[in-house]
Amino acid sequence: MGLTLFLLGLVYAVLVGALVAAGTGAITIALIAGLLFVFQLFTSDKIALLSMGAREVSPAQAPRLHAIIDRLCVQANLPKPRVAVAVTPMPNAFAVGRSPKAATVCATTGLLDLLGDAELEGVLGHELTHVQNRDVMVMTIASFFASIAAFITQMGFWFGGAFDNRDQNNGPAFAVVILVSALVYVVSWLLLQTLSRYREFAADRGSAILTGRPSALISALLKISGTMGQIPQRDLRAASGELAAFYIFPPRAKQSISTLFSTHPPLEKRIAALQRLEAQLQGTA
Amino acid sequence: MGLLDVILGRRKLAPPAPDRLFAISTAYVKFQTELGLSSRGTAAIVFQPLSSADFQSIVRDTEEVVRATASDSGVSVETSDDSYGFRWLVLRGSDFDDLVVGINAVSSSLEAGGYGERLLCAVFAFEDERKRVLYWIYNYKRGAFYPFVPAAGDQQRDNERELVLKAQVGAELPVEAELERWFPLWGIPI
Repeated sequence: MGLTLFLLGLVYAVLVGALVAAGTGAITIALIAGLLFVFQLFTSDKIALLSMGAREVSPAQAPRLHAIIDRLCVQANLPKPRVAVAVTPMPNAFAVGRSPKAATVCATTGLLDLLGDAELEGVLGHELTHVQNRDVMVMTIASFFASIAAFITQMGFWFGGAFDNRDQNNGPAFAVVILVSALVYVVSWLLLQTLSRYREFAADRGSAILTGRPSALISALLKISGTMGQIPQRDLRAASGELAAFYIFPPRAKQSISTLFSTHPPLEKRIAALQRLEAQLQGTA
Repeated sequence: MGLLDVILGRRKLAPPAPDRLFAISTAYVKFQTELGLSSRGTAAIVFQPLSSADFQSIVRDTEEVVRATASDSGVSVETSDDSYGFRWLVLRGSDFDDLVVGINAVSSSLEAGGYGERLLCAVFAFEDERKRVLYWIYNYKRGAFYPFVPAAGDQQRDNERELVLKAQVGAELPVEAELERWFPLWGIPI
């Protein structure tokens, strides 16, 4: 999703850059960009669902999923969103839609098979919190603003210092404008990623408050993430051979660079935050 | 395990950290009063037996000592071997503190005999108000406790309840911080 947002904004930035360099008037550019933005706002959820192969399901088709979402919506005081299921073994869940009234929550069959009821409730609570916080709208507007930032930089650059070259079809200047626009966009995009990670923490917290069971969400996250960091299934006696001797676990790579570019905070940080919430809940924090 | 050991390929078993075992005695007060957990009256210590006569005699002597004090403390002891080749010394008694003392006696005598590295863990069995069983396992090599809650089904565990227990116990017990080291023990005989 991060890559998509990045490319989307880059498209805006390059397009606007191209329009400016081609000499289009400012109002026309604003109109075109605005139209594209509205188009994106209204169709992005359908495109996302289509790309995942998600199909809307009725309560008869997915009773467990609907029952959990019903309970959560009552708890969250949200209108019930559309419910979709994507048939794939990858465990995943997401929410799309520009407002709580026009939202869809989707879970994959892989997720429904992997998780128990309490864990599924935790994950769906996370997604519904995204809906409640209008995160899709927020991230879309934020990414739009990032391209506006690039646009303004271009305008300043173009009109600020290049008056003499305006009449000539100056190839290199054209390219530089687009390059600057793209660079400004990249910087704003990195900031966007920080915003996205913060919203993920907020969604985790919202789920914990909604369900009252942060540990169920931790358990779900561990199951979804795979074997690293998971509470093990292997018997202590089977594992003790190598452990007793060496106690060398694969060192946790710092992953600082990759965190910069990812939309989600690292799993350990999410689990640590949820464990703090659980401790607060239990009164031992 | 220093760099030299790594290069020269020396294996040293980690020595046990028994000093924090007694934390569960103090934590038990909180278990009973706030968390509604009660001891099932059983505890076990798990170790890797050696076939040497010296080791066998130490184990026998330890059992004798525990049995000898049984009349005072009301703690009985029995041994069994499991399918992994580990030996279980199971203590049964109505007073939880006596159980902890008994477990510590066994581990101390093994350590005194120089076989401390053979110690794997100690297991304490509890049940909650709804009579569901749960265990606190003390890993001698790490010096930390972790909860283990078996669930219905073959080799299933209830991760959520384990995480809740960790949060509930708070700072009362030294709990293993790394979730990857919460190794289960399937088929606990207590």
